[in-house]
Amino acid sequence: MTSPLLEVKDLHTEFRTKDGRVRAVNSVSFKLEHGEAVGFVGESGSGKSVTALSILRLFGPFTDAHIRGQVLYEGRDLLNLGAKEMRGIRGREIGMVFQDPLTSLNPLMPVGQQVAECIQLHESVGKEVANRRAVELLELVGIPDPKNRCEDLPHSFSGGMRQRIMIAIAVASKPRLLIADEPTTALDVTVQAQILLLLNDLQRELGMALIMISHDFGVIAATCDRVNVMYAGRIVEHAFTEELFRSANHPYTEGLLKLVPSLEQQKGEQLVPITGQPPDAFELLPGCSFAPRCPHVAQICRETQPQSNVLSPSHGSACWLSAERGGSV
Amino acid sequence: MDFPTTEGRSIRAVDRVSIQLEPGETLGVVGESGCGKSTLARAVLQLIRPTSGSVQLRGEELTLLKGRELRNLRQKMQMVFQDPRGCLDPRMTVGTLLMEPLKVHGLDDASNRKRRAHEMLERIGLDSRFMSRRPSDMSGGQQQRVAIGRALITNPELVICDEPVSALDVSIQAQVINLLVELQKDLGVSLLFIAHDLAVVRHISHRVAVMYLGRVVEEGTTDQLFAEPRHPYTQGLIASIPQADSGARQQLREAERLAAGDLPSLLDPPSGCPYHTRCAYVEETCRTQVPQLREVGTGIQKVACDRWDQI
Repeated sequence: MTSPLLEVKDLHTEFRTKDGRVRAVNSVSFKLEHGEAVGFVGESGSGKSVTALSILRLFGPFTDAHIRGQVLYEGRDLLNLGAKEMRGIRGREIGMVFQDPLTSLNPLMPVGQQVAECIQLHESVGKEVANRRAVELLELVGIPDPKNRCEDLPHSFSGGMRQRIMIAIAVASKPRLLIADEPTTALDVTVQAQILLLLNDLQRELGMALIMISHDFGVIAATCDRVNVMYAGRIVEHAFTEELFRSANHPYTEGLLKLVPSLEQQKGEQLVPITGQPPDAFELLPGCSFAPRCPHVAQICRETQPQSNVLSPSHGSACWLSAERGGSV
Repeated sequence: MDFPTTEGRSIRAVDRVSIQLEPGETLGVVGESGCGKSTLARAVLQLIRPTSGSVQLRGEELTLLKGRELRNLRQKMQMVFQDPRGCLDPRMTVGTLLMEPLKVHGLDDASNRKRRAHEMLERIGLDSRFMSRRPSDMSGGQQQRVAIGRALITNPELVICDEPVSALDVSIQAQVINLLVELQKDLGVSLLFIAHDLAVVRHISHRVAVMYLGRVVEEGTTDQLFAEPRHPYTQGLIASIPQADSGARQQLREAERLAAGDLPSLLDPPSGCPYHTRCAYVEETCRTQVPQLREVGTGIQKVACDRWDQI
């Protein structure tokens, strides 16, 4: 097998704020093959978005972010690239779609022009070619009547249509990797279904790899081959998506899967909440971050950070009790 | 319920909706953004006055009440909103926040109010140290517990919850949902539970009404509605929720078929059946005739689709 498209090794990201250091990502490592879709799931503050932003080094000038580790994209470490080289990666090699399309689109520019602008930014083509390609792209992402609609401003589109436009912009340069950060969280469920299918189809047609970030296991199930579960800035469990649903090992994953009311669950069954609060990112515990909330906690959990235990070639769980627990669910 | 717009047109946010709620019952109202569910909630509470129609609490007509009478009535009807930060005064302590509704309605003397606040604090699962805390020292889940406590402390007969868990993290959502179920059982209060999340609504409700573009398109007991959704929109809505299993992709394809395209604008609502622009089973008559909410089967389930028995 050739080398992976993306390999992240021991990534740490911390923010220095006036209240102290926030350790948002703590030693995250993962691999992504060409054309593969991998999901990151976790609650807010678990570090899934910061992991994605760290890959692209997309932090504003006023955010005092410190990134350590390696982000190997086709063997090149993105963390060592200069600003100019990095611009050649962002948008061109790695596209990104965010949660709220309205804040990402220019409200005063017709959408077709916004797509064309991105094409011209990444390729040396004339305006006419760019405009024609923009219409094709809008059609590809399912905007009805794209020839006429490309003259319209973002406000005249619905939330779902705006997200389609954002996706058109993100895939304009045929990136090899698309990072989608909660792309459907702001949308209604019937529209969410359509956008997830669109991402699925585009990924296959364009042969892109996909990183999907979501708090919703259902969204991950619909789009991803593999999944990483994050908690307190760490990947606590990783597996093939189906494997994880069949045999979740980490108590946090198990908790997450149990507490979400699903349509398949028996009605009237009590939801099993995870007790306590998510951890404080200012304070890193010496042991397992989940220990204070874990129903199976043992002495060692509070003292020493568990490493990921290999349960199968594709399945790992960072839990001291993983061997005993096996695939228990 | 009509709203004027700046262009001189009007938006009909809620259109001929009739719902009933029994004592101690939870009615879930579910639908996507713009379906009128929040407007319905506010119209029930008389926070906005309906353009026409009637709202009765135990037979008393609310749309005619004014001033003091209306304020008195609000003890009996309370509301929990989506964002607890927006409705808890950041300068007040939890104790003051919990006692405030009692004070506003002139219920009990100071010492009794304090006792009731302590009792409520326990009921909502917070220990007595929270009495002196302020909202900013608390997590979103804890704040929402306080908002729920404030709504319940006047012993209301009806509590309207408008997306009470949507702003919370999933692990906290489950805690708050369990709390609501428990409180409802203990206190026998009626809940009008409004949410876009079908799974949450299913978990908490005895009956469910599905709204689309200002109308109720289907209504029934929770078990019926989820086991045998009759309206194509309800079917699409249920299929749209990706399940955490290997069939998720297949299921979304079905959802895309049943609920195609986008929501139409309320400024320019479709003629005939409001759902005909997205429906997989649309026929010519659907474009012209407005289907009425009709009883099907045993009569408890109602569907606003003229073709429900053919699809």
